[in-house]
Amino acid sequence: MALRSASTRLRLLLASSSSRSRSTRRLLPDPAAPTHTDMAFLHSHATSFGYKQVPEEEKSKLVGNVFTSVASTYDLMNDLMSVGLHRLWKDRLISKLNPFPGMKHLDVAGGTGDVAFRVMERINSMNHRTMQAALADIEETKIYVCDINPNMLNVGKKRASERGYKEGHCLSWIEGDAEALSFEDGSMDGYTIAFGIRNVTHIEKALSEAYRVLKRGGRFLCLELSHVDVPLFKEIYDVYSFSVIPAMGELVAGDRQSYQYLVESIRRFPNQEKFGQMIQEAGFERVQYENLVGGVVAIHSGLKL
Amino acid sequence: MRRTAALLLRHSVGGGAGGIPQALADALVCPLSKKPLRYCESSGSLVSDAVGVSFPIVDGIPCLVPKDGKLLDHDQEKAEDGSTKDSSYNQ
Repeated sequence: MALRSASTRLRLLLASSSSRSRSTRRLLPDPAAPTHTDMAFLHSHATSFGYKQVPEEEKSKLVGNVFTSVASTYDLMNDLMSVGLHRLWKDRLISKLNPFPGMKHLDVAGGTGDVAFRVMERINSMNHRTMQAALADIEETKIYVCDINPNMLNVGKKRASERGYKEGHCLSWIEGDAEALSFEDGSMDGYTIAFGIRNVTHIEKALSEAYRVLKRGGRFLCLELSHVDVPLFKEIYDVYSFSVIPAMGELVAGDRQSYQYLVESIRRFPNQEKFGQMIQEAGFERVQYENLVGGVVAIHSGLKL
Repeated sequence: MRRTAALLLRHSVGGGAGGIPQALADALVCPLSKKPLRYCESSGSLVSDAVGVSFPIVDGIPCLVPKDGKLLDHDQEKAEDGSTKDSSYNQ
């Protein structure tokens, strides 16, 4: 008990004193701006599948089909589309998480396991360096990977066994919905969602579920493709997105449409500031975001205090 | 051999290919009611008594997406809850 509150205090201290790069922006509540996210906007996200309009109840099925189709080549495509950069982005996400042995962590939409494996490796490397780390702590570490798509989870489970992770030890794989998580209130030290929130039908529900399951002092982190404003680079990025990516999808995954959906859904997703506001509205504090590659991706973070 | 089997049974809910570790089953709650789930031996699924829904476990992965839950009819619930069943229960 004392250990947990000590680690909570430590996390809060780290959060307040963490060095911020120039591209990190903190969102402050602006008394002049409206404090609720436009209902029309939320509705439009729930009924859009990329640039197409779809009935709300259809969206999750369509998204499900996308990921069933791409699951087997998901990791390869990520490497190709981002020229390997997605690995660095995920490394950055984990470093902001500050994993610790004995933590309970939930990675949502984490199907193929990239983020979960990184958290595990980070914790394991800490254990090897600090011999004082109690064996009980290492045993207590629990990482839950939740994904709505069973194909993605199966790929993740397979990768886990290839890496030599013992089945059911620290990593658990659960099929679940980000909008209705199957975990108790205040049970998680950390929550991550990498390249997943864009695909959720009701973003605000996913955010409030994230808030619900986190403990006090718990950290929310979201890595997502975002909006580029840098002149000229924006144009290049648009050409790359709309011409190269769907073609790559066709060639490698045999599925142009899914990758067309992908690039369209990025444009439809709220920009950095707007998304940050939504996170604040879910109750998180100290909300900030960091742009990577000029805003191609952004890491949003918040604390439950 | 017997000791190993007993050890496995203790740590695993259901044992074998469809089972999940007890620790995981204890950590999960019903996605609808957020109340604890009960493992049901006969169907190899996680049951939410609060809402009368059962969630399957497929290939060792609990499927807790709300729309995958199966509504249990009253008799099915009673039949599966073997331990405290009243033998004189009338339909």
